[in-house]
Amino acid sequence: MVDYDFIVNLLSAMIRNATPIALAAIGAVVCERSGVVNIAMEGIMTVGAFVAAIVAGATGNPWIGLLAAIFFGGLFSLIHAFATVSLHLDHVVSGAVLNVLALGITSYLMIMIVGHPGTTNPVPVGLGDYRWAIPVLSSIPVLGPMFFNQTPIVYFSFILIGVFTWFLSKTKLGLHVRASGEHPLALETIGVSVYKMRYFGVLVSGLVGGMAGAYLSIESNVSFTEGMTGGRGFIAMAAMISGGWHPIGAFIAALFFGLADALQVRFQVFEIARVPEEFFIILPYVLTVVAVAGLVRRSRPPKADGVDFMIERSED
Amino acid sequence: MAQPILETRHIVKQFPKVLANDDINLTLNQGEILCLLGENGAGKSTLMNVLYGLYKPTSGTIVLDGEEVEFSSPRDAIDRGLGMVHQHFMLVDTLTVTENIILGSEPGRGPQIDYRTARQQVKELSERHGLRIDPDAKIMNLSVGLQQRVEILKALYRQAKILILDEPTAVLTPQEVEEFFAVVRGLRDNGVSIIIITHKLEEVKAISDRVYILRRGRIEGERRTADVSKEDLANLMVGRAVVLTVEKSDHQAKQEPVFEIDDLRVLDDREVAVVDGLSLDVRPGEVVGIAGVDGNGQSELAEAIMGLRSVAGGSLKHLGEDIKDLTTKERIHRRISYVPADRHRYGLVLPFTVAENIAMGYHDRAPNASGGGMRLNYSAMEEQATRLIKDFDIRTPGPLAPASHLSGGNQQKVILAREFTRNPSFLLVSQPTRGLDVGAIEYIHSQILAMRDQDVGVLLISLELEEIFGLADRILVLYEGAIVKEFVASETDEREVGFYMTGGKKEQSA
Amino acid sequence: MSSTHEHTEPGRLPSILTIASAVLGAAGLVIWLGASMSRGETYYFWGIWLIVAALAVYLWRYRLLNGGEALRELLRSSARKMAVPVMGVVTAIVLGGILMLATGYNPIEAYGALFFGGLVRNWHISILNAAPLIFTALSVAFAFKAGLFNIGAEGQYYMGAMAAAWLSIHFTLPGIISLPLIFIFAGLFGAMWTIIPALLKVRTGAHEVITTMMLAHTARYLSPVFIRANGGDPATSTHPYVTWEILPNNFLPRFQQFLPQANYRVHTGILIAIVVALLIHYILYYTSWGFEIRAVGENKDAARAQGISVGKNIFRALLIAGFLAGLAGFNQVNGLDHRLFENLQAGYGWNGISVALLAGGNPIGVVFTGLLWGVLDAGGQFMARTTQTPSAIVEIVKGTILFLVVARYIYTAIGNWRRKRQRHREADAANAVKEGA
Repeated sequence: MVDYDFIVNLLSAMIRNATPIALAAIGAVVCERSGVVNIAMEGIMTVGAFVAAIVAGATGNPWIGLLAAIFFGGLFSLIHAFATVSLHLDHVVSGAVLNVLALGITSYLMIMIVGHPGTTNPVPVGLGDYRWAIPVLSSIPVLGPMFFNQTPIVYFSFILIGVFTWFLSKTKLGLHVRASGEHPLALETIGVSVYKMRYFGVLVSGLVGGMAGAYLSIESNVSFTEGMTGGRGFIAMAAMISGGWHPIGAFIAALFFGLADALQVRFQVFEIARVPEEFFIILPYVLTVVAVAGLVRRSRPPKADGVDFMIERSED
Repeated sequence: MAQPILETRHIVKQFPKVLANDDINLTLNQGEILCLLGENGAGKSTLMNVLYGLYKPTSGTIVLDGEEVEFSSPRDAIDRGLGMVHQHFMLVDTLTVTENIILGSEPGRGPQIDYRTARQQVKELSERHGLRIDPDAKIMNLSVGLQQRVEILKALYRQAKILILDEPTAVLTPQEVEEFFAVVRGLRDNGVSIIIITHKLEEVKAISDRVYILRRGRIEGERRTADVSKEDLANLMVGRAVVLTVEKSDHQAKQEPVFEIDDLRVLDDREVAVVDGLSLDVRPGEVVGIAGVDGNGQSELAEAIMGLRSVAGGSLKHLGEDIKDLTTKERIHRRISYVPADRHRYGLVLPFTVAENIAMGYHDRAPNASGGGMRLNYSAMEEQATRLIKDFDIRTPGPLAPASHLSGGNQQKVILAREFTRNPSFLLVSQPTRGLDVGAIEYIHSQILAMRDQDVGVLLISLELEEIFGLADRILVLYEGAIVKEFVASETDEREVGFYMTGGKKEQSA
Repeated sequence: MSSTHEHTEPGRLPSILTIASAVLGAAGLVIWLGASMSRGETYYFWGIWLIVAALAVYLWRYRLLNGGEALRELLRSSARKMAVPVMGVVTAIVLGGILMLATGYNPIEAYGALFFGGLVRNWHISILNAAPLIFTALSVAFAFKAGLFNIGAEGQYYMGAMAAAWLSIHFTLPGIISLPLIFIFAGLFGAMWTIIPALLKVRTGAHEVITTMMLAHTARYLSPVFIRANGGDPATSTHPYVTWEILPNNFLPRFQQFLPQANYRVHTGILIAIVVALLIHYILYYTSWGFEIRAVGENKDAARAQGISVGKNIFRALLIAGFLAGLAGFNQVNGLDHRLFENLQAGYGWNGISVALLAGGNPIGVVFTGLLWGVLDAGGQFMARTTQTPSAIVEIVKGTILFLVVARYIYTAIGNWRRKRQRHREADAANAVKEGA
């Protein structure tokens, strides 16, 4: 039962399951490194997933659907930026509100556009139809099918993890983002706008979160279903924390959640033990608690993460 | 007479509740060191933040090199050759020296930072000005003196022609101050014009060419330093004749110590022993002053005494009993009182009312509560607060005003009122006057001495040597977590104490 | 808060008025909440009149004790406090109307249906919606006061519901004994679900947002396991995912038992919720526990320096929060459903967050915002049925209300901006005068 195919299938399923979590997590990494706590990833992904399915369905072109998802994910995240940065609203509160709002807007638009709640019509062509086995590389045993025989957004996520790592550690803008999350006033006093950095950080999380949503609706599926994000936005938070607010760390943590998810499906199919299937669904949540409990000592959030920044303030 | 390089004309800065700057006119000449003297809250920092583009002035103009300028952000000010070293350093702890210095003006084409060039530039710059520093060190591993160096280099890296230094010596030892003055003079000789903001008269006399005195947001006068005495400056600054030191009566301390610390060892958050082998005792009726540079274990010592941080070794004895394993609450109820250094963080719950803040710590017992804490008695709290507001002359709209609505000096008085009226046998006071104006300082000092005269044992931790000399009967020098030297206050001076504060060595290597 | 005043001796009248106002208020509330439109229109309005009368008596008492000026000041300050929430609600409703117009619905018709449905026609459904929300919102609000965000109240609610269902299926004691026991155990099971987050928070600093949320999902997926073990049978179509019905002696009393014309479904859970809210208010503001929890929430370092244990209070606050959320489960199982459904009860924990935020964490405020949410939900369904307007619009309006009320800085910002313009105008005028002179 546990043979080569099983392992390969399991591992490539791990990668596929990890993709939306990893994308949302690395987006949140940039956002939180800039100093804005973002628990709205769930809502952003919902918006992205919905828009992708609608636009891909209407145009018949999943690439346009993907672009639209990215765009609207970014647009939706700007509400969070506006609320937290410009209106100085508590970051967690704003995120919680946005999650509520995302559900309301998508289910309203479901009825407006699709005509009924639940699930949209399947898109004619999904991004899942663009599976591409990279020549040569994909024939490497185990690693080939895992990493090099995948669908577009999975590849994008690999690229983005590299880009974000480079961005945060090697670029000017990345340095500014990091300073904005650690000591915003230090950044402001050398003439870089903290507001702009934080808007930027939130926007990045919105764009990437939109892409993560599109993955769910038009790459691993062919339609949008209400509630299809299923808490992945929150698991992405956990991945970001477990990953120490670093893109690569977040990716590794996401892989771990992806593996738990993949195992769960297989345990159910094979009925390995006479244990209710729900226990395997629960597994990632419990593991998250364990991970957060164990890792939090070692990883440290940016010092000004979630701390409001306001320049003009009278001294006492 | 040198060329004026910077002028402010009729600067007014109005905050929602405070008029911080009122019609400020000042001139800075090319290549001079100008001091801006004023008490806390006089509007010095506000003015500098206006100059630096952090605040927009409500009205008025800034003239730079004969040209009217308007700064919409610090970027504009930096581009026009202004540099600023803030009192609280604007350095990102987790970044390296190089990253902090180049932040916002990174070398390199395109989006990527050219770290090699950056490191090279930082090295050259530090050598040129004689400010040695390791470009790859993380800020969090540097001493305060070195962090200040990084701040100055940061300004110089941006080719600052005008350097504004906000309370630059607040955190330095007397020896470091000397060194710092030398650096400042060197910069002046290289053609940099310098504004130093300060409330220390000695500093004005020691370094500046000219001085403006600021009081309550207005310029009270302008003097050539050479032509003015310290007393005159003090009068201008405070607006009345000031007693520079509080009268200290002779008072015989009792023999039996009220508080003893023996071979104390305390770890900080990184589990490094920052207090190690510290021993001291405090007798009823004396003030023991702990002098030392910030970061030598002061806060950990205070926290260990109050039970806010666990003790890794040694003993703490109050009235002969070891209290090492008691909770903070038990220590408070043994009548150990504590005035913490950071009143906003450790002293007060700002949204709570004055009455609630005064009751806190004894909130669960009579008269503040009855029925084992099942019923709070607000009217008793209010009564007590009303009484103390009168006794301690606390300026507040009333006992039910939130503590956040009070000025810094009055907030400190609330803490004093709470701690001093609990009939303490031992009083731990940490930096009681930080950021307060002269009137409040005088008052608080006299209260502390009054406690001493009532045979309370007082342990005073302060970074201000002046304060230590003004209050303490005995002075203990704290260096790297241990007492390295003990003096009788009347038999020593600031130079001697300062010498031991840096470990008794002439100079620290960079 | 009382201050001595030099007024004429009011005698025993004030205490009589206090009692009168309390009795009137309680009676009015019970009658109003229990009223059903289908059969008891008169009760509904009688309830409202009684509440208004109670309020009037209270204000009269206040005037007697503190004088007319103090009364006016009280009214003014309450009006100021209400301004932001009311403005937020009104603005959100207007924005929702614009959205309806833009998407081709008739906002007047829709809102008419919504408020008629929620406040009048289906008032009993609003009440049934509000009760569990008040419990979960109290849970979130209580944690707020300690500076904690109990985002996983949903999980504690599920745990409470499971405990209540199990006990109610098996307890054969008379209701007067078993109901209080079930009430307490449901709360304790909810509290149990916050022990781990509390421990981790205190010991390792793990953020309660993550831990309570993860445990919420865990509890959610444990419920089908529980249901299958207690009567749920996926193989049948009649009981796919429902437990057996609980024993009738464990039903919460219904309004109908003492108000004959009340809707038969309305149970006394709402009254328990209101009493618990008052109790929580008392704990927070009139006991040393509350004092410590609030002190820790506002500034844990200063609280610690005054001998208040931060860990102990975080523990207390989270456990009490869990207890309160667990009570929501008791309310649903013993009051409304009399059995545990797998999915039908979901969401009260999540929605409790909004209700608590809207009330600014104030336990008394939670009663009102809980009712508002209940009315919007019930009215939304009525609106969707009668006018074909999607009920999701209600979700959007709710989100917008929340945003506008919580983001109080909007109003500060608008105020600042107006003041600034005002000052500019004044400065310009002054300059003009100067230049003219």
